[in-house]
Amino acid sequence: MDYFKEHYITLILTAVYVAGCLYIGWHFKKKAKRGVEGYFVAKREIPGWVISLAFFSTSASTNTYIGQAGISFQYGLSWAWMGLIWTFFCVISWQLLGPRMRYQTARLKSFTIPDYFHLRYKSSLAKSIRVLSAFIILFATIWYMVGIAKGCAHVLTSVLDVPYEYGAFAIIFITCVYTIWGGMYSVLWTDAVQGIIMFGVAILMLMVPFIYLGGVDNVLESISYTEHLSKSGKPIGNGLVVFGKLVSFLYILGIGLSIGMKQISEPKNLIRFYSINNAKSMRFAMIWTPIFLGISLVCVMGLGALVHGMTSVEEANYLINNTDEVIGFMLNKFDNKLVSGICVAGLFAAGMSSLASVIIIIGTAFVNDIWHVLKPMPVNKIIPRTKWFMGIYCLMVYVLTLYPMAGIVELTAFAGAVFAASFFPAIFGGLYFKWGTDLGALASMVVGMLVNIIWRFAFRFKYPELEDIHEIIPAFMFSLITYVLVSLLSKKRRPDQKHLANVFD
Amino acid sequence: MDFLTLFPYVGIILLVVINTILVMKRDIKVDRNEDDNPAM
Repeated sequence: MDYFKEHYITLILTAVYVAGCLYIGWHFKKKAKRGVEGYFVAKREIPGWVISLAFFSTSASTNTYIGQAGISFQYGLSWAWMGLIWTFFCVISWQLLGPRMRYQTARLKSFTIPDYFHLRYKSSLAKSIRVLSAFIILFATIWYMVGIAKGCAHVLTSVLDVPYEYGAFAIIFITCVYTIWGGMYSVLWTDAVQGIIMFGVAILMLMVPFIYLGGVDNVLESISYTEHLSKSGKPIGNGLVVFGKLVSFLYILGIGLSIGMKQISEPKNLIRFYSINNAKSMRFAMIWTPIFLGISLVCVMGLGALVHGMTSVEEANYLINNTDEVIGFMLNKFDNKLVSGICVAGLFAAGMSSLASVIIIIGTAFVNDIWHVLKPMPVNKIIPRTKWFMGIYCLMVYVLTLYPMAGIVELTAFAGAVFAASFFPAIFGGLYFKWGTDLGALASMVVGMLVNIIWRFAFRFKYPELEDIHEIIPAFMFSLITYVLVSLLSKKRRPDQKHLANVFD
Repeated sequence: MDFLTLFPYVGIILLVVINTILVMKRDIKVDRNEDDNPAM
């Protein structure tokens, strides 16, 4: 009884939120059954505001609201540059890729990112690119899913005392159920609801230190000079508000690029463009998505630095080495059940929106882009098999979440770098360059992956002066150059003029 | 707070304003028979 008395607000808010997500999934169950185009891309009939919020909510995750927000406790307000870099790539993604991707994928009847490669470059080699890119998706996303599920399960454990294994089970399988029911319809509509919650929670979280300390002046005064120690044991002094004093700009740039560039290359983001219903909606989403993301990141990215004003020296000494606990600490110190409850619902929303987007991507990648390509199946089998595979994959993710390997956050960031370097040139070239070829696309993918691995394991951590240069920078450059060079050297492999006219004109 | 620490906060606002102007001025087409021209 005491348990319910203590946690009733959080429990009610969480229950309402989960029930809402399941209702959306159930509501779209019938609609999603009506053909592959409905289940995979929601028949390209979703309004712009839904797509905009869905893009925002899938871009930010629990890691943004806990990990990224907390790490500014260590690095100071300079960490807010991450938000700027991230928003910049959101703008690039919508400006460069959004309208063209929607146009070309509708003309090609493409339902997934891997099948876009196949249909756009149109050759037997392009078929191999489809299968290869589907394998990259399967491999790279599993670590991401484990990382998100782990983060959400820890939130449940710390806030509601739910055992880790039950928390992980709940978060993975609730998301899996509504995704299986409604396909892309339920993913997009639940993502939109989750986006609204996340936007509100970002603003609410920023207000906490200001209310606790009694206003803007008091917050600025408390962080402008502090006796707290940095991670290296030296006094922070004015480091929280002085640019680059606690972290190098090159490091911020490397991490910022590796996360920000996901928006121009990750299938879970790019697939959003497929489902938008018309040009008016596209215009709305192009304007509003960077606003939703930018404002949320402004609120969240420097939050940890502000929490210094709420901590004693002893507490700061602990938190500086455990930055993932900074946001939980802040909420506990504020001690308001309603605020904590809303924030917990927001953290679930952040985690579940990212999980659902990935679940449908892996289901379609395996069934439509590997199985169906290697051994064609009747069209009416595609949706049921996709559902089965999503369920099995979620089970695998659950097992891995129970025994998470060390360094999963790093692995997730590495997977993001692999996506950016291997997918972007083939997508961008496919959208803009009529002279782009299948060989150019394949070579850029392989080079992107290899440079990622070689730079990380043979250079970056062997030479201290290279440590701050994230593998995404050289991998992206080499991959892009490879696409251009190989495409120009393999002119004969260009698709015929009729096909190109259908795609571009 | 120095200029470069403050810059991302101002920069995000500038970025979304510039983006909005660019989008408003642009012709957007997502289908062969459709064109959403704000001037029309």
